[in-house]
Amino acid sequence: MKGAVVARYVALSVILVLLVAPLAWLFISSVRPASEIFRWSHEFGWRTFVPAELTLQNYATLHEIGYWRALRNTIFVAGATMVLGVLVNAAAGFAFAVFRFRFQRTIFVLVLLSAMMPFEGIVIPLYTLVRALGLVDTYTALILPEVASGFVIFLFRQFFAGLPREFYEAARVDGATWPVIFWRIAIPLSWPVVVTGAMMLFIMQWEAFFWPLVAAPSPDYTLVQIAIARNRSMEETAWGRMFSATTLACLIAIVPFLVFQRFYLRGLTAGGIK
Amino acid sequence: MTVAAHGRGGWLRDSGIGTQAGTLMIALFLAPALLGLVAFRLVPIAIALVGSLFGETLAGDLVWRGLGNFERLLGDPNVWHSVRVTLLFNLLINPLQVLIAFGLALLVLRPAPGIGLFRAAFFLPMTLSIGLTAMLWDILLNQHVGPVNALIAQLGFARQGFFHDENQALATMIVIASWKGCGYWMIFLLAGLAAIPEELHEAARIDGASAWQRLRYVTLPLMRRPLAFVLVADTAANFVFFAPVFILTSGGPNGATDLLMFRAYETAFTFGDWGRSLALSTIILLIVAAIAAVELRLLRDDGTQAG
Repeated sequence: MKGAVVARYVALSVILVLLVAPLAWLFISSVRPASEIFRWSHEFGWRTFVPAELTLQNYATLHEIGYWRALRNTIFVAGATMVLGVLVNAAAGFAFAVFRFRFQRTIFVLVLLSAMMPFEGIVIPLYTLVRALGLVDTYTALILPEVASGFVIFLFRQFFAGLPREFYEAARVDGATWPVIFWRIAIPLSWPVVVTGAMMLFIMQWEAFFWPLVAAPSPDYTLVQIAIARNRSMEETAWGRMFSATTLACLIAIVPFLVFQRFYLRGLTAGGIK
Repeated sequence: MTVAAHGRGGWLRDSGIGTQAGTLMIALFLAPALLGLVAFRLVPIAIALVGSLFGETLAGDLVWRGLGNFERLLGDPNVWHSVRVTLLFNLLINPLQVLIAFGLALLVLRPAPGIGLFRAAFFLPMTLSIGLTAMLWDILLNQHVGPVNALIAQLGFARQGFFHDENQALATMIVIASWKGCGYWMIFLLAGLAAIPEELHEAARIDGASAWQRLRYVTLPLMRRPLAFVLVADTAANFVFFAPVFILTSGGPNGATDLLMFRAYETAFTFGDWGRSLALSTIILLIVAAIAAVELRLLRDDGTQAG
């Protein structure tokens, strides 16, 4: 038994190092002066992870690649998608769980199928649609296609269908309208799913690459991922700035993720993925 | 824990509260999401299907090509090469990621001192997007200045090309995508594992089942649904693998990472042949649908045989 415990911790530690060391190297490289970044690169050792000198130079020059603008764009796009998405998908999930209507099963199956379809697969036809509507280079084009999510609808539907009927019946007897029941009773009860859905929508937009690449080619609407990739292809040597830009993008995604990870797991369990 | 089970009982119909909402009210709740799915999922699929039958003249006018786009695609050996690379990529990466994700989930499942720290650390690579992951690893694996090659050289081996080596590029893509992605799929499997009642394991232990037997006969049968979900979702995601190819290799070196999604992108945005690109999109969507159907069928059949 003792051997099994030791083996488990050894395995955990090895994986931890493999997963975290590259990120640690990224963070450390971002505060190294340009002259130092690759000075010890031909020998691997403690020098690889311990800078001789610290500098914020790589961060101070980020505005030169339009980074802050791109960061604001990304936070706005991801935030708007998150808020709109939770509302819209929770409402649909509620309808599928509580109401009875014609073609309900068929529509729900179609919603599930849409969740299985990879978004990147339709980027090219979606682009021709958005171009025809004159929406290229708009926030609308970046936000709207990602708001409705079959998977988030599914999570909410499973949660609401599992609530004891007394919750809805009592409220109906008291004369509450459905929007009030949804907003005052169902949504507050479903907060683990709200958190999970919000995180999924936020991370999906934070990660997006293919769609924002083609839908918003102008610098005014460029998102962080694309700004960093463009900077890479333009100046191969400006790696210090790539480290700082990537570190910031990563940190912004890490903070909400670490805070919410426990709810995330709980939301998935409550949502019936098991 | 078992919230999903209640929903299937059909109590809503019995209690009659479902009928108290008018059509307008139901539409109010459903319309925003359904309109979004129709406009941004269904309509693009229709555009891909219809648009794949057209071409464009130099002046930009649409011309009917019928199945011409498909005929030309299927007659092009480069396209077949791309299909082979994409299938090989998926044949390797999907089972690998599901296996690793399952292993990770089993490792962090049981509470132990410090396990929260490991769980959090396993999530970390997920916060880097796949595009940024590619850029980071491109530098880490750089032949001349990358620390990984420094370590390899110090251990006495020859420096490796990785993304720049025809024979290693695809495998390198698979490894870095798994470095980033396995933690994500682990979450779903962890949720599934957490839902298995501890008493089942306890009972098996009392009956003298070894750890391996408990995994094989208790855990695995109960994990079929989460595993099927993760496998299908992972396949769908990897079939349209794009950003690292776009950022790093453009399909090279020498066609080694020539994945279908990048080819479709190039056909439209570099060569401006939208009809052909939409035909490629159609083919990609059809293959994804076919593979998902087969995977679901396989995992379901397994269930009926075992049960």
